[in-house]
Amino acid sequence: METAPSSVSCLPHQTKMSKAKKVLEEAREIQNPELDLFDKGVATFEEMPGLLNMTNITRLTLSLNRLKSVPPGLANLTNLEIINLANNQIEDLPLSLSSMPKLRILNLSINRLYTLPRGFGAFPVLEILDLTYNNLKEDSLPGNFFMMETLRALYLGDNDFEKLPPEIKNLKNLEILGLRENDLIELPKEIGELSRLRELHVQGNRLTIIPPELGNLDMSSNKAAFRFEGNEWVQPIADQLQLGINHLQDYLRSETYRILYNRYLTNKPPVPPPCVDKAKKVSRIR
Amino acid sequence: MMMVNQKDASPRIPRLGAIENSSLAQRRASKGSKDDLSYYRYEEYDNVPLTPKPINEQSLKVSWVTNIANMSRDNMLCSKCGEGFEAQEKIVNSTGQLWHQQCFVCAQCFREFADGVFYEYDGRKYCEHDFHVLFAPCCQRCGTFIIGRVIKAMNSSWHAECFRCEMCQLELADTGFIKNGGRALCHECNAKVKAIGLGKYVCHKCHSMIDDQPLKFRGEVYHPYHFNCTACGVELDANAREVRNRPGLAKNDTNELYCLRCHDKMGVPICGACRRPIEERVVTALGKHWHVEHFVCAKCEKPFFGHRHYEKKGLAYCETHYHQLFGNLCHHCNQVIAGDVFTALNKAWCVHHFACSVCDQKMNQKTKFYECDLKPVCKKCYERFPKELRNRLRRQHEATPRRAPTPSD
Ligand SMILES: [Zn+2]
Ligand SMILES: [Zn+2]
Ligand SMILES: [Zn+2]
Ligand SMILES: [Zn+2]
Ligand SMILES: [Zn+2]
Ligand SMILES: [Zn+2]
Ligand SMILES: [Zn+2]
Ligand SMILES: [Zn+2]
Repeated sequence: METAPSSVSCLPHQTKMSKAKKVLEEAREIQNPELDLFDKGVATFEEMPGLLNMTNITRLTLSLNRLKSVPPGLANLTNLEIINLANNQIEDLPLSLSSMPKLRILNLSINRLYTLPRGFGAFPVLEILDLTYNNLKEDSLPGNFFMMETLRALYLGDNDFEKLPPEIKNLKNLEILGLRENDLIELPKEIGELSRLRELHVQGNRLTIIPPELGNLDMSSNKAAFRFEGNEWVQPIADQLQLGINHLQDYLRSETYRILYNRYLTNKPPVPPPCVDKAKKVSRIR
Repeated sequence: MMMVNQKDASPRIPRLGAIENSSLAQRRASKGSKDDLSYYRYEEYDNVPLTPKPINEQSLKVSWVTNIANMSRDNMLCSKCGEGFEAQEKIVNSTGQLWHQQCFVCAQCFREFADGVFYEYDGRKYCEHDFHVLFAPCCQRCGTFIIGRVIKAMNSSWHAECFRCEMCQLELADTGFIKNGGRALCHECNAKVKAIGLGKYVCHKCHSMIDDQPLKFRGEVYHPYHFNCTACGVELDANAREVRNRPGLAKNDTNELYCLRCHDKMGVPICGACRRPIEERVVTALGKHWHVEHFVCAKCEKPFFGHRHYEKKGLAYCETHYHQLFGNLCHHCNQVIAGDVFTALNKAWCVHHFACSVCDQKMNQKTKFYECDLKPVCKKCYERFPKELRNRLRRQHEATPRRAPTPSD
């Protein structure tokens, strides 16, 4: 990975600074509002002195580091619109983040989150929230999670959800919902109320049947992407999927399917076992 | 025994005169309008004083006839029992009448009058206590005797301080009252009750009913004529406009009133659709002002009501119709893409924002990238993904490297 340059010892002591410090200094000099600390080998915010005073910055990229936690003071950088913390080792978050007035994009993918702080859903203008590859499930969502009405994209792929709360319907502006490779055994019919939804990723779950309400969604436009592979679909759905997404959509809207769906619900067939072995996920390392 | 009637010896129980003759009514009539006078006709009303002390001090002075030398006691008879007097007996003389000492007593308790003070009623004399017990009026409200000013109203007697408006508790003795449904009410409360019954407002300033259009101002209603235009001073009518100085705030105590003419001159925004002034929330877009409900999509004509709109060639569109008609929004900045468009992964990006979703490094049409959940990931970042994730993604056949799209217009 990183190797210290051998010539370091002959430099004056004060110039021996980490890559992160160098970036910070430069950014301060040129007043760069976009701070790039990608892959700088930092494990704590203390290694980035002065960062929490750089109130002018609008973007902070800290992805691919070894951060384990985020200090509440990060929220003092009130001009931040984008925080990218992807691929770190973050186990918990401060609630203060949720009050950041301009934060539009928050990337927390590939971390070690088992929970989110209470009140997490208070973000006033958040548009894209990426929580892919963590250890979240329905119980770990705070009560106000689905109050983030400004969300356009919610990525929850590679987590441990078995059910998605029906409150999902409150995310009226949602265009993208990522649920790839969770443990979902059913989808809430309320997804059908998300009139702007054009991307739905539910590959690699334990789904058997789709609520007919999802037929309301526009699955076959050229901007739509509905991914259903790798589930335990009942045969009629599997057949339609073979034929193509527009066939599935027509089928979901049909009276035939409504009857099948209701009969299926009354029969209460057994739930398929977890089909994805995610025991090796690095997000589980404690 | 003979009874002597002495009218002037004690105060009389007040007789209630006609309302027009009462001192209060006369006072009102002399300074008030005709309206005022007719108003008092609603109810008997008077305030004749009833004083505890005899009106005429002189007449009550009791003198002891101890030395009436030039009068023969033989001719003197007691006014009560009609008997004569003994030679050395004390004789009570009051206003020309004579009594045995033991006969000059209260008709009720047969005791002498303390300090010689008595009250006469119907030819009988009473001590102060018994007179009150027997004849003094009792206050309808507090139930005690009324000494002094008696308010006769609502078929009862009242202390002046006990006769109050049943709604607001205002003292009514000097202001008069109106009987409304068996209740004594002050002017204002009566007007309110009446106005509510008629579905009308009561002016917050003069407290009388507003027959024509009321003027709303700072949350209350008024007769418009109580106000003048803040700018030109003209007396206002119901067309006056309240101008909110701090739009959006609930506090309206800095609001001002203007006549319609001045209001229109003040540059109050005019709606670009209906051409009428906008009193409430103003939407400013496309270089014009709009009523919230009149700012609509040029295609479907539905109001945006604060939802995002998209502008093109001086027209506004809802998201659906903008895309239907013109194309793309950048996935990252959510703005309409003006110049070159990167389209990939079912999304579009503006030239500034097509970047790796992990490292935020910009990519161009030559950059190779991977996708994860239809997000672009540069090769370097993809290779730093956890190995097991890469394996799973590969197994799902989703990790095919792709060439970035060519920018298109
Ligand atoms: Zn009283
Ligand atoms: Zn009153
Ligand atoms: Zn008035
Ligand atoms: Zn005026
Ligand atoms: Zn209008
Ligand atoms: Zn429209
Ligand atoms: Zn953009
Ligand atoms: Zn990258």
